[in-house]
Amino acid sequence: MDPTHLHLLLNHVPTVGFGIGIALFIASMVARSGDLKQASLVVMVGVALLTIPTYATGNAAQTNLQDRGEISDGSNGGTVTLSLIETHEGAAFLGLAMMEVTGALAWLALWQFRRRSTVSPGLNTAVLVLSLATMGVMAMAANVGGMINHPEIRGTTEVTTFAGHFGRMVGDYVRDTPWTWITAETLHFVGLSMLIGIILLIDLRMLGVMSQVSFAALDRLLPWAMLGFAMNTFTGMLFFAAAYGQYVNNPAFFWKLVFVVLAGANTLYFTFDRTWALAPGRDAPPLSKAAAVGAMFFWVGVMYWGSMLPFIGNAF
Amino acid sequence: MQLAMTVFSIVLGVTIVMALAGILIDRSAARDERNEDR
Repeated sequence: MDPTHLHLLLNHVPTVGFGIGIALFIASMVARSGDLKQASLVVMVGVALLTIPTYATGNAAQTNLQDRGEISDGSNGGTVTLSLIETHEGAAFLGLAMMEVTGALAWLALWQFRRRSTVSPGLNTAVLVLSLATMGVMAMAANVGGMINHPEIRGTTEVTTFAGHFGRMVGDYVRDTPWTWITAETLHFVGLSMLIGIILLIDLRMLGVMSQVSFAALDRLLPWAMLGFAMNTFTGMLFFAAAYGQYVNNPAFFWKLVFVVLAGANTLYFTFDRTWALAPGRDAPPLSKAAAVGAMFFWVGVMYWGSMLPFIGNAF
Repeated sequence: MQLAMTVFSIVLGVTIVMALAGILIDRSAARDERNEDR
């Protein structure tokens, strides 16, 4: 299986998968069901995580088409125009950005639900409105993406969307403007420090270190870790858009994505863990300890594969 | 020097915005805890 296969497999997640999440969310509001709400928010967070590799494998598929001479340059007999691919990429980039914001809010709603068994009306509305808007943009990206390999639905006129070539525009700006990459790199480290610092602190407490520190106090730090993750996701998107050629054939990058998804899934487990209710001095149950070991492994793995981008792969 | 100042200003700006977002979320959580205690 190469990244193109993965893209064809994963590209249904931000559309079909997210549609299921929205349907569950609306059903939870109609039925006033907390369980349904939690399930819908988990689906939304999961889809937001999987949208990252979906986007990244899209540029890998583009590189594959380019290498096979299937992108028309006017003389090579290619069947797909670069403009069509960049229109798909533009809508997908905007959709990815919106999806990550929706996923972050959905996670915040899950965290809030665990603490007070309800989601505040403002956050509820924000998740609903943003998820519907994200679904619209993702459907647009999927529609244009389908045209790339289906000439029967392509038509003869050039396809455009309101997003234009947004992904390329942002990528070229980051690549060609001196301050953007350095700024994003610095912010990436700020986000990394927030995320890993807090996650390791929580994991160590779960494993019995600093046992007098209450879980409730550490729980209040979790949104700060999520802010760090959000910062890293957005700066990571900028790096990828600016220089995807350095990443799409880079094994370290794909392993980094695998570890990001696994670490995110592990964080979702901690959203439901009952350990947070334990009093200071109490020991975490074995399952929570196992999840903490998993979290340490996955997050250190994310950092390891990120550091290995130039050494194992061909980046920079 | 100008590049360094530009990068520093933007990093500082984004970090402050992130800190404000974190403080807002934390204040809301603190309010919830107080309400639960009553």
